[in-house]
Amino acid sequence: MSHQHQEKVSYWAIVKNGIIKENTIFRLVISLCPAIAVTNSVKNGFLLGAAVVFVQAMVNSTVALLRNFIHPRIRIPIFMLIISGWVTVVDMLMAAYARAAYKEIGLYIQIIVAFASILARAEVFASKNKVGASFFDGLGSGLGFLVALVTISFFRELLGKGTLIGFTIVPVKPMLIMILPAGGFLVTGLLMGFFNWIDMRFYGGKGAGGAGGH
Amino acid sequence: MQIGQEVKKGDLIGETTAFVSAPVHASVSGKVVALMDAPNAMGKMVPAVVIDNNGKEEWTQLRDNPDYMKLTPEELKGKIKDAGIVGMGGATFPTHVKLSPPKEKPIDVVIINGAECEPYLTADHRMMVESPSDIIEGLKILMKVLGVSKGYVGIENNKPDAIAKMKEASSGEANIEVAELEVKYPQGAEKMLIKAITDRNVPAGGLPMDVGVVVQNVGTALAVFEACRYGKPLIERVVTVTGLGVKTPGNLRARVGTPVKELIETCGGFNNSPAKVILGGPMMGFAQYTLDVPVAKGTSGILVMSEEEHSTSGKFGPCIKCGNCIDACPMGLMPSMLSLLSEKGFYEETKEYNLLDCFECGTCTYVCPSKRPIVQFVRLSKSLIKR
Amino acid sequence: MAVAKKEQELIVTVSPHIRNDETVSRIMWTVSLSLLPAFVFGVYFFGPRAVYVTALCIVGAFFSEWLVQKMTGKEITLNDGSAFLTGLLLGMNLPSSAPFYIPLVSSFVAVAITKQLFGGLGYNIFNPALIGRAFALITWPRAMTTWFEPTAAFVGLDAKTTATPLAILKEGGMQKIIEIFGDKMSLYTDLLIGHRAGSLGETSVIALLIGGAFLIYKKYITWHIPISFLATVALMAWIFGGREGFFTGDPVLHLLSGGLILGAFFMATDYVTCPSTRTGQIIFGIGCGLLTILIRLKAGYPEGVMFAILLMNCFSPLIDRNMKSKVFGLAKEAQQ
Repeated sequence: MSHQHQEKVSYWAIVKNGIIKENTIFRLVISLCPAIAVTNSVKNGFLLGAAVVFVQAMVNSTVALLRNFIHPRIRIPIFMLIISGWVTVVDMLMAAYARAAYKEIGLYIQIIVAFASILARAEVFASKNKVGASFFDGLGSGLGFLVALVTISFFRELLGKGTLIGFTIVPVKPMLIMILPAGGFLVTGLLMGFFNWIDMRFYGGKGAGGAGGH
Repeated sequence: MQIGQEVKKGDLIGETTAFVSAPVHASVSGKVVALMDAPNAMGKMVPAVVIDNNGKEEWTQLRDNPDYMKLTPEELKGKIKDAGIVGMGGATFPTHVKLSPPKEKPIDVVIINGAECEPYLTADHRMMVESPSDIIEGLKILMKVLGVSKGYVGIENNKPDAIAKMKEASSGEANIEVAELEVKYPQGAEKMLIKAITDRNVPAGGLPMDVGVVVQNVGTALAVFEACRYGKPLIERVVTVTGLGVKTPGNLRARVGTPVKELIETCGGFNNSPAKVILGGPMMGFAQYTLDVPVAKGTSGILVMSEEEHSTSGKFGPCIKCGNCIDACPMGLMPSMLSLLSEKGFYEETKEYNLLDCFECGTCTYVCPSKRPIVQFVRLSKSLIKR
Repeated sequence: MAVAKKEQELIVTVSPHIRNDETVSRIMWTVSLSLLPAFVFGVYFFGPRAVYVTALCIVGAFFSEWLVQKMTGKEITLNDGSAFLTGLLLGMNLPSSAPFYIPLVSSFVAVAITKQLFGGLGYNIFNPALIGRAFALITWPRAMTTWFEPTAAFVGLDAKTTATPLAILKEGGMQKIIEIFGDKMSLYTDLLIGHRAGSLGETSVIALLIGGAFLIYKKYITWHIPISFLATVALMAWIFGGREGFFTGDPVLHLLSGGLILGAFFMATDYVTCPSTRTGQIIFGIGCGLLTILIRLKAGYPEGVMFAILLMNCFSPLIDRNMKSKVFGLAKEAQQ
């Protein structure tokens, strides 16, 4: 789909596009490091996902707002400044009001600055579209990331610890490998394959191969 | 040639001026009835002269010459050329061309190839048993033409009778040696034969003359003798007719131009259920769609394979990288990689694996446990790469 | 039979027109057969549980193969024996104490993920059985290192557990091992026969050697990988294995214990995942040997054969690329 919306496209379609068709993890295959690093529990996965939804939406809006004033030659540094600004906001908010969670995933919150997905949406969408559409694109893309993280962490926590959001679900011996990094790769890869298979089987797609920002 | 013209056996009926070519002679006496295109062993349509056999078996004037060894090398070469002799192992490369190496490639060894180029074939074997001294005479002529002092006859050691006969025939000749060779395919391939007998490696992409060797088939040596001694042109050859699909297999002396159908009928006709008729051997021969193809100068065998003994290259499995083909390849290539690259369409990359050194002997395909059509993949790559 | 009539039915194909009767499934079943002696010894020492664990692995392997091939719409190839062989090898690499889910899950990982998802037979990068075992070892470290004492009698589930010789060696050194086994000679004898704790199919060196010799005799494997592998391990164990300094190690102990013989003859020689050329295979064997000793002596695990082979599997394509076979006539040209 073209990222320059000439005709009116509904905001809902933009959000849906971010969640499904251009899902950061399963379709665009970017920002995999955090997806594997924090997804050994659903709680962590959800928190990072939520932070990304906020940052992405705000960054997209800001970039869209300023898009006519940013010289194309220096747009990437400017985007980075905007991103780091919003990440700092989240970081400080969490440090102030969610101490426990901040202790666990604070490091990853700061690393949001370096997420390829954030910069990618700013570059391919927000810098070419109006504020409203950009906001919803950020929202959708962030939600897609959130959904992916929660899905991955759901399986990893369930199989690796036998728990979900901390509650014991499966009484048998869990599979330790699932909460180790190797398990992250395994689950992400298998899920990606599974979604590709669904896409091919039921929607006649060609899989995600090389889908990056089409 | 003109339609209606009368010819006798041995009359010249086809000739070109090209250097790498050999003349063709009438193999029967009779009247020319047509000049047309007819299929050859490879299935190609080629120009042909059709002669209606009058059954009189009249020979043209032949120049008998009992003192042929007194002729100069050039005269002998001329006789070989005029007799239309070509490599009778199957390649049909004109013999007189092979006998004219460029000056910078001195030749010091002549090898007579009695190592039966393919399984099933026994024509060379029969010839060695039946006319050993004529073959040795042919070798001596070849040695004289090339000015060479060393001649070998390479025979696989599963033919003790041929080895004994040839040794007996060459017992008086100090510079002719009968070499017993290990039985393996493709022992009869020039490069392998030269390696086994002289331990010389023909360089990749090179010719035997690069290491000072000329190889000639047993049948060729015999034809050379007959040409020089009796002035007889090459109009007949020994053909093996064999396979489970034919009633009484055997070796026939057949005129060049005899339809395959007649040879099979002479051998009692088909047996059981013939599945394939192959001109040449089972490894490199050509399956025929019609039995009207004629015996040519290079037709070493007619193989009638039954349903059970032949294999069609149909379904095949994935390469399990067992390495059997690498062990089997006489050229030391990696057929497994060639087939994988070709299968996936990486034709250019096959050159990195020395695709062009493959002479398509088919051994890799024979040994492949996954029944992969390796040599077919190689041919595909060869036809698609940019040379 | 009339010649002319038959002419219409002739088959026309390209050469070669004959093939030998070797098939992939015959290779797979023969290799499985060669594992039989070692498996019988395993059953003798570890009892019916050995059969139970191995049977679950084979069932799991068959099911996984069938499932993926069904899902991906490929031809079902259960009878080519490759799934059976993977299941059997995996079973022989597990402790007889393994609870039921270990063989089932790890055989799924081995066949469905390691082999089929990478493209099926011939396209996998890693040895499927070993990935199955590595997965199990990392996932259930406790269960995978609980070894039943070999009793040579058919005992039930309440068998005593003990440590493997290599684990004892890592903890307590040579002294401790000899203490447990009596003297050095009875240690070697026990190791040779297989009277020791370990995975159910890896213990009996004699039975494994019989199987390995059979495979070499049948020309299904060559000496290159096993010998270079074993020689490297022996040499390195001798040089670096001792606690009193260089050249004080015990190469015999290192050769006879752990999964080395099983690995060297049956796992490292897996066609698909080892290099195809002879030179490449020797490099591969040496690499496996070096990594094995490195892990045994310096890393956290007492045994390193599995990870050594898996790590070298990664290098197989690279080795093949750089160690092409010698082309006839090219060598001489290079010399000139």
